[in-house]
Amino acid sequence: MSPATDMAVTVGGVRLANPVLAASGTFGYGREYSPYLEPGAIGGLVTKGVSLQPRAGNPPPRIVETACGMLNAIGLANVGLDEFLAHKLPWLTEQPGAVVVNLYGESVGEFAELAQRLGAQPGVDALELNVSCPNVKEGGMAFGCHPGAVGEVTAAAVAGAQGKPVWVKLTPNVSDPAPMALAAAQAGAQAVSLINTLLAMAIDAGTRRPKLANVVGGLSGPAIKPVGLRMVWQVASALKAEHPTVDVVGLGGIMSGIDAAEYLIAGAKAVQVGTASFTDPAAAGRIAAELAAYCTEQGVSAAELSGSLRV
Amino acid sequence: MSLSLKAKVSSNEPVGPEIYLLSLEAPAIADAARPGQFVMLRVSPGPEPLLARPFSIHGADGGKLLILYQVKGKGTKLLTQACPGSELLTWGPLGRGFDLTAERPLLVAGGMGVAPIAFAIEYLCNKFDEVRLLCGVAGTVRHEALIKLFAGRLGSARVKIRYSSEDGSIGRKGLVTDLLKEHFSTSQPLKPDTVLACGPLPMLKAVALLCAEFEVACQTSLEAPMACGVGACLGCAIPAAGGGYLRACQEGPVMEASLVDWEKI
Ligand SMILES: Cc1cc2nc3c(=O)[nH]c(=O)nc-3n(C[C@H](O)[C@H](O)[C@H](O)COP(=O)(O)OP(=O)(O)OC[C@H]3O[C@@H](n4cnc5c(N)ncnc54)[C@H](O)[C@@H]3O)c2cc1C
Ligand SMILES: Cc1cc2nc3c(=O)[nH]c(=O)nc-3n(C[C@H](O)[C@H](O)[C@H](O)COP(=O)(O)O)c2cc1C
Ligand code: FES
Repeated sequence: MSPATDMAVTVGGVRLANPVLAASGTFGYGREYSPYLEPGAIGGLVTKGVSLQPRAGNPPPRIVETACGMLNAIGLANVGLDEFLAHKLPWLTEQPGAVVVNLYGESVGEFAELAQRLGAQPGVDALELNVSCPNVKEGGMAFGCHPGAVGEVTAAAVAGAQGKPVWVKLTPNVSDPAPMALAAAQAGAQAVSLINTLLAMAIDAGTRRPKLANVVGGLSGPAIKPVGLRMVWQVASALKAEHPTVDVVGLGGIMSGIDAAEYLIAGAKAVQVGTASFTDPAAAGRIAAELAAYCTEQGVSAAELSGSLRV
Repeated sequence: MSLSLKAKVSSNEPVGPEIYLLSLEAPAIADAARPGQFVMLRVSPGPEPLLARPFSIHGADGGKLLILYQVKGKGTKLLTQACPGSELLTWGPLGRGFDLTAERPLLVAGGMGVAPIAFAIEYLCNKFDEVRLLCGVAGTVRHEALIKLFAGRLGSARVKIRYSSEDGSIGRKGLVTDLLKEHFSTSQPLKPDTVLACGPLPMLKAVALLCAEFEVACQTSLEAPMACGVGACLGCAIPAAGGGYLRACQEGPVMEASLVDWEKI
């Protein structure tokens, strides 16, 4: 057997034992999946998006399966910051692996306040700003489609975060994500993660009704992987030229270790596993192991694989 | 404790029109299973269909997990093709089951609602000399096999079953709620203290209303589209009586009827 490959990476200011994280909104607050994963199997997790106040979310139906994917319109339902700090974060802090808190505000001021209160928590390793949710009316994607707004939100969060790394989660619902990534980098983000879900819809021809109560929702799962790869490659290339210290975290449709490897090759330093966890609660751990096997076979470390696309 | 495993199919046989009984080798899940809980089952290892399907636990017997399912769409159709010896990714047991501590429980099942109710009956038969079930079906043509299976599995003399059918082919013609109303009106003073119900949503709604009217506690087993089954995706929202939502997979699938907003659901 060949010696163990070095899977550790430093991404967006956070040291990870391996480059696989669980994606926001698909892994709850971590504990939901603890029966299914060995402790330390993944590099860490990104929490469900936290807002200042609790949010009930959208009326059902909120999810629908589509060809090789699914739509969701959860509406950022979450327990709110106080409950998160009191009852979700303490357990998470005790687990091995990085804790990245995904957060969502309806205004620049809310992003700043969230960043400040979460940045003060020793158990939090990084903040991920969700400026890309397609399922809420205020904020969300509205912030993520204009470089100026992305820069403003990022700068406010960075100022509040007391040195804690800030990542910005980008939307694919733009023609070119690179200007948003550059704006985030310029404003002090240490990483950008992409992609969030693609705005989409599904219709029941029998009843002529939309299949989601919200009419539209976000598409995720294997169907979106080619879009994610393209955007990660575009963003990684742009950042390399202008902000080489800012990292890319790649996601969208990762179902296997090979899928994860493809994202690293395209330029990501780390990856996130989302919808795959719904299809197999142990998926994130399995993907980390498969990625390690791939790296061993290729004779490269995870860090070396990153950005190794031969064009 | 819930867990995930590749469960070997021991049998998967039709027991009626479009109705199958699946038996899986999953001792760790079967041993932990309680009536009213469910499992998530991946009918195909590939990306199509992508999501697992939720199924109530119909029985847990010597390490075997029993699932009674009806063919509805592409996932359940594919499931009919699972041969003995093949493996299906399964996780569970999941969710909140029935609270079986009542003194005088009454079970109410509509159609495929018998799947979890049968498991509850097995439990209750260990505790009571007599267990009462009201069972509503569309008609015997569709449900004859189900009734036979039911009678076979629950053949214990302790189970007293009354049927209603929409076409009048078995039991009382009408809906199971007609039976329930009659039962409430005639069973004094030994009126049930709790109703445990599973079936289609309109039935559950009617059962919940009747129970409220007669001041009988009511536990309903609810369905919602699910992605994860473990409380993480928040897809399975059920409108809650006090506003907001409950997760069918976590606060349910069995919920006190009084916790549910039956108008919004
Ligand atoms: C807690 C729970 C327990 C269940 N127990 C049983 C059981 O014991 N026996 C049984 O026959 N059926 C049961 N069902 C319903 C069963 O899950 C659906 O019939 C099945 O998912 C249909 O899948 P399909 O691919 O054949 O249909 P499709 O219509 O092709 O499914 C498409 C999508 O819709 C979802 N969906 C469709 N119908 C339902 C439904 N009624 N409830 C929730 N999601 C649905 C599917 O999961 C899938 O994601 C249960 C549902 C829940 C939530
Ligand atoms: C049910 C669901 C809920 C999600 N919630 C969030 C969220 O709260 N914040 C966020 O930034 N992204 C959220 N996402 C997006 C995912 O983190 C991810 O970007 C997207 O699903 C694409 O990855 P995937 O194809 O691997 O799922 C959610 C996705 C799903 C399916
Ligand atoms: S099915 Fe995912 S939270 Fe209930």
